[in-house]
Amino acid sequence: MSLLSTPPGTAPMTDVILSVHHLTKRFEGLVANREIDFEIPRQAIVSMIGPNGAGKTTFFNQLTGIIEPTSGTMEFDGTSLIGMAPHEVAELGIARTYQNIRLFANMTVLANVMVGRHVRMKAQWYEAVIGLPHVAREEAEVEQRSFELLDLVGLPRRYADDLAKNLPYGHQRRLELARALASDPKLLLLDEPTAGMNPGETRQMTDLIARLRRELDLTILLIEHDMKVVMGVSERITVLDYGERIAEGTPEEIRTNPRVIEAYLGKQATA
Amino acid sequence: MAELISGRQLRRVATIGAVAAVVVLYLCMVGLVEAFKDRNVVTGVITLGAVMLLAVPLIAGYRAALPARDPSGPTPGPAQRIVFGLLVGLIAGAVLGVFVLIASAVDVRGVLVRISPPLLAFISFGLPSGLAQLAITGVGGLVGALGALLLVSPARIRNAVTSGLVAVLFMSMIEPLLRPRLEQLDYTAISDFLYKAHGLTEMASILCFVVGAGAALLWQPGNELVRRSIEAAPVQTRRRIRGWTIAVLVVAVLILPQVSGTFLAQVAVLVGLYLLLALGLNIVVGYAGLLDLGYVAFFAVGAYLTALLTSPDSSLGIGLPFFVALPIVMLGAGMTGLLIGAPVLRLRGDYLAIVTLGFGEIARVLFESDALRPWLGGVQGILGIPSPFPVRIDLQLGTTHIFATGPQVLYYPIFAFCALAAVFAYRLSNSRIGRAWNAMREDESVAEATGVSTVNYKLLAFALGATTGCLSGALFAVQLGSVFPGSFDVFVSITVLAVIILGGMGSIPGVILGAIVLIGLPELLREFVEYRILVYGAVLVAMMLLRPEGLIPNRGRQRELHEAESEEEEETLDGDLMPQRGQT
Ligand SMILES: Nc1ncnc2c1ncn2[C@@H]1O[C@H](COP(=O)(O)OP(=O)(O)OP(=O)(O)O)[C@@H](O)[C@H]1O
Ligand SMILES: [Mg+2]
Repeated sequence: MSLLSTPPGTAPMTDVILSVHHLTKRFEGLVANREIDFEIPRQAIVSMIGPNGAGKTTFFNQLTGIIEPTSGTMEFDGTSLIGMAPHEVAELGIARTYQNIRLFANMTVLANVMVGRHVRMKAQWYEAVIGLPHVAREEAEVEQRSFELLDLVGLPRRYADDLAKNLPYGHQRRLELARALASDPKLLLLDEPTAGMNPGETRQMTDLIARLRRELDLTILLIEHDMKVVMGVSERITVLDYGERIAEGTPEEIRTNPRVIEAYLGKQATA
Repeated sequence: MAELISGRQLRRVATIGAVAAVVVLYLCMVGLVEAFKDRNVVTGVITLGAVMLLAVPLIAGYRAALPARDPSGPTPGPAQRIVFGLLVGLIAGAVLGVFVLIASAVDVRGVLVRISPPLLAFISFGLPSGLAQLAITGVGGLVGALGALLLVSPARIRNAVTSGLVAVLFMSMIEPLLRPRLEQLDYTAISDFLYKAHGLTEMASILCFVVGAGAALLWQPGNELVRRSIEAAPVQTRRRIRGWTIAVLVVAVLILPQVSGTFLAQVAVLVGLYLLLALGLNIVVGYAGLLDLGYVAFFAVGAYLTALLTSPDSSLGIGLPFFVALPIVMLGAGMTGLLIGAPVLRLRGDYLAIVTLGFGEIARVLFESDALRPWLGGVQGILGIPSPFPVRIDLQLGTTHIFATGPQVLYYPIFAFCALAAVFAYRLSNSRIGRAWNAMREDESVAEATGVSTVNYKLLAFALGATTGCLSGALFAVQLGSVFPGSFDVFVSITVLAVIILGGMGSIPGVILGAIVLIGLPELLREFVEYRILVYGAVLVAMMLLRPEGLIPNRGRQRELHEAESEEEEETLDGDLMPQRGQT
C-alpha cells in the first residue's frame, strides 16, 4: 500500500485544492473509511471508484460536513474542514450532488436552482421585508443566472415553474447539478451522476462533466460505477475497498492494477 | 349485450353507498339535522337540515360516477354512471329508511338522545311508516342519480348548476346579517322580496340561482376577454387599470364596516385577529415546515405584555400608551420566539409538534398559576387595558355623515396590521429567506449542505412568527380591554393551524380565504356554534382526502413564459383529486 500511496511531501508540484490525510470514519464496529490519504489538483477531474459499501459516499459526507470524521485531517484551499457545519463548507466553495437524487421536491425547478445560490446572496430578512431595491436587483440577477445554469445543464427553460418532483428522472439529475453549480463552487462532488441513466443520457452527462470543468474552471471529484464514464473523463482514479484506499493512478494504471482487478472487477465478474 | 355492472364496479358502488349511509346516519345522530331542520333555505320548499341530508347522496352519487382510479376495467358509459349514482343514493336512502323504521318502533332516545319524534317525522316527510321508507329510498336514489348526472354533463353546465346552488345557499345563509341591515337602511322592499320567514322566497331563490349560474357561464369567456384586452392594452393603460383596481378594493375595504353594520364589523375584527395569527404561523409551519402546536403561547405573551405595560391596573401599573408599548411587546415576543425556538432546534416533525404543544400548555398554566398571580393576576387576569383607538367616530364630511363605534373603529387598525403582515410575509416568501425556509421544510440536511444555516433560519422563523402572533395578541387585549388565561387554550393553536391547512400551507391568499371561511362563516351560522369543532374536524379530514394542498395552494411564482403548460397542469390537477401517496 505504501508503494501506491503518494506520501504528502513528494506530491508533484501542481496546485492542490483538496488534501486529506489519514481520514478515518468508524461507525460502531465498522470502519467505513480507514486512514485515507487523498489529494486533488486544482481543475482536475478525479474519480473515486470501489465496490458497493466501500465507503465512497461516507468520504463525501465527511468532506461536506454532514458527518464528522473519527480522525484525520481535511484541508480545502488552505482551510481545515474539520468541525465545520455543512453550510460553512458550502460557503467555502464545495458543492455536491447525491447518489439518490435529493431535490427540494415541492419547490419549483427555478427555486431549486436559486436556493443553490443562497450562500452567494446578500439580502437580509429585514431588507427583504422593507423591499429595498437592491434586494429586487439581486433577485433578478440570480434568476437570470439560474436560467443560464438550466441552459448549461441542458434542462429546458419551460420546466422552470414545474415542481421539481414532477420532472422526469434524467432532468432531476440535471437539476441537482444546476443547484450545485449555482453556488459557484470551486470543487464539485458528484455521487454517481449517471446512476439510473440510459446509455444516451450517460454519454450526455459525461460530456457535460468535461464541459463544466472547461467552462467553469471547476475541480470535480466523481464517484462512479460506470467504467466507461470513469475511464473517459478522469485524469486520476482512486480505488476504495472496504474503506481502504487500495490504489491510485491514471486510468491506464488502474485498468491494469492487479489489486483493483481482484477487488473490484474480479468481484463483479464472479458476482 | 354488455354486462350492466361488473363485480368490481358493484363493490365500489356498495362501498360508496355504505359510506354515504353512515354519513347520513351520523348527521342525524349528532343532531346536526335536528338543529337545522327548521332553518329555512327556501321558505316552504327546503330547510337547511334537508339540504344537509340531501347533499350526502348528491356528493356520493357524483363520486360513484367518477371514473375508477384503477383504469384496467371497462370504462362505464354515461347511462351506466347514472345507474351507479342511483344505486348509491338508493343504498343511503334505504339504510336511513330502515333506521327511521327501527327508531320509531323502538325507543332509542336513551342512547341516541338526538333522535326525537319530530326529527323522525321530518325525515319521513310526515308520511306513515312504510310509505315513508319508500319515499326516503326514492328520494335518495333520485338525488344520487342527479349527482351522477351532474358529473356526466358537460363541465360548463356542471359548473353553472353548482355555482347556482351555492349562490342560493349563500344568500339564504347570510339572511341574519343582510336582512336587519337592509331594514336598518330602509331597503325594506328589497328585504321583503328576498326573504320570508328567515329563508329566501321562491322568486328570490330562482333569481339567485340564475345569477349564480349565469356568473359561472360567463366567467370563463368574460375572464378571457378581460385578460385579452388587458394584455393588448399599452403598458400605461395597464398600470392605470391596476391602480384603479387597487383603489376600488381599498375603498371597498374601507367602507365595509360602514355598510355592513356593527355585527359584521365585529366578525371582521375576529377574522382579522385570526388572520394575523395565521399569517405568523404560516411563516413557521407553511414556509419553514416547523410544526408548532403551541403557537397560542405567543398570542398570550402579546396580550399579557400589552396588558402589563398599558393597563394602569396591572402589577407594573405604568400605563404606557399603546403605541409606545407595542415595540416593547414585539421585541419581547420575538425573544420568546427565540427562547422557545432554541431548545427545539434539533427536533423534527412529530417530536417538535409534541414539544411545542407542551410549551403552549405550559404558557397557559403559567398565566393561570397562583404563583404568578401577584404579577399576572391568575384566573382573574388583568383588567383595565385602555384602547388607543377612539370608542366612536362621529364625522360630518360635507353631506356624508360618518358614524362608527367599537368594532367598526377597531376594524381599521387590525386591517392595517393584517395588510402589513401579509405584504411582509409575501416579500419574505419571494426572497432568499423564503426559499431557504422552503428548502429546510423540504429536506433539512440537504438545505444545510446547500448552504442554508438551518439553525439561524429556524430561529428567524420562530422569532418572526412569534412577533406576528403577539401583535394579534396585543390587539386582542386592546379589543377586550382585559386578558384572561382562559382565552389562550390549545384550541386557538388548533384553529389557527386549521385555517392554514384549509387555505393552503404557505399561500397568503389561501390563509386569507381560510380565515374568512373558518372564522367568519361560523359566526354567521350561529346555530353551528355547538358543532364548531365537529365541523372543523370534518372539514380538515375532507380537505386531507380531497385537496391536501389547500383551497388556494401555493404553487410558486407564476410566469408568463409558462402560460400554456400551466393550463395543462390545471387539468391534470383537476382530474387527480387524490393525494399523492408515498411522496413527501
Ligand atoms: N450513518 C451510517 N451509520 C452506520 N453505518 C453507515 C452509515 N453510513 C454508511 N454506513 C456504512 O458504511 C459503509 C460504507 O457506506 P457508503 O455509503 O460510504 O458506501 P459506498 O461506497 O458509497 O457504496 P455504494 O456504492 O453502494 O454507494 C457501508 O457498510 C454502510 O452500511
Ligand atoms: Mg454511495
